[in-house]
Amino acid sequence: MKKILLLLAISLPFAQRMDPIDLAIDELRTIVETASRSSQKVFVEDFTGLN
Amino acid sequence: MLDEFPETLVSIEWHSPSFTPGGSDFDLPSEYSQRGGMYGVGGIPHTQWNGVVESVGGYPNGNWSPMYNAFIQTYNGMVGDDTPYEIEINGMITETEVSYDVFVTMDADMSSTNQKVDIFVVEDNIWSYWTGASSYHDARNVARNWVVTETLSISLSGETETFSGTFDLSDAWVSDNVKIIAIVQNYGNPKQIYQVNQININDMNPDIDDDGILNGEDNCVDVYNPDQLDIDSDQIGNMCDPCNDLVYVLGNTNGDLNQNGDPVIDIFDLFTLTDFIHQESLNECSENVMNVNGDNHINILDVIELMQNLLNSD
Repeated sequence: MKKILLLLAISLPFAQRMDPIDLAIDELRTIVETASRSSQKVFVEDFTGLN
Repeated sequence: MLDEFPETLVSIEWHSPSFTPGGSDFDLPSEYSQRGGMYGVGGIPHTQWNGVVESVGGYPNGNWSPMYNAFIQTYNGMVGDDTPYEIEINGMITETEVSYDVFVTMDADMSSTNQKVDIFVVEDNIWSYWTGASSYHDARNVARNWVVTETLSISLSGETETFSGTFDLSDAWVSDNVKIIAIVQNYGNPKQIYQVNQININDMNPDIDDDGILNGEDNCVDVYNPDQLDIDSDQIGNMCDPCNDLVYVLGNTNGDLNQNGDPVIDIFDLFTLTDFIHQESLNECSENVMNVNGDNHINILDVIELMQNLLNSD
């Protein structure tokens, strides 16, 4: 009985599917992550000497 | 340009041992040779922008004015681009020694292959008489020390790696003008520099959260916690440790406790685990204890392992 209950418990959550809200949230997450990317600074190395 | 873009343009001057002010200690021959060798530097002046764009000649005797239009285009073509890396620098000064911490954080995935972190020390605004040109010159950000080259090992979004060390302050330097520069650079080809940052050593804050505990000894660097309480003894103070390791033990994915305050591992942990696999949106404490089978991946195999553990338990 314990095993049956466990198997039932496992199968129910896995029967779920992604609904439109999940998809929208995923899309929003992607947009936010992209917008918050770090900005490149510039490093200039000057090999020099007066002559 | 350095004064025009103080937050986003960082420079270093590597001085040719053949052309330095009379009697100066500007040149670092072996470092000049090594750094110049990376880029195939021959004739000077030579500028190298983010390791990949070079410009040779055009500004004799340090007069950059004629090159402004060319340089501004190069700069504008690079600044603000997306990069996976962010660099923060902090540290403290103790008499003639500077200790530093360089924090490299990633907000996107990138392979760590050939990625290095270089740490340089420069001295800004050295007013010097150049005998070759018979004039005074304000030398900017002169290389004083190539402190270290470290291998970067992080590669995933959200990861941070810290590089710590010390260097000596020379009596010959004006300490108010000394800066630390850190870069992330690909040592393969091309020699792309993916991020850079700098800090004047006087701007470093040895106790960021002002709780009386120095950064290097503080178990919660950014949050005020003078008591340093650490209930689970994991070296992370309670104030910045949302995951109590005494509660979130392996398998207790929902973090519940019994009446005695001990963690409970039961069927509800299976629910939490399967929810995570569906949505991957639960709290970070749960994630830490979901890798039940120890393979560093959280998936259906962990569900099976946890279920077997429950079936085999009393």
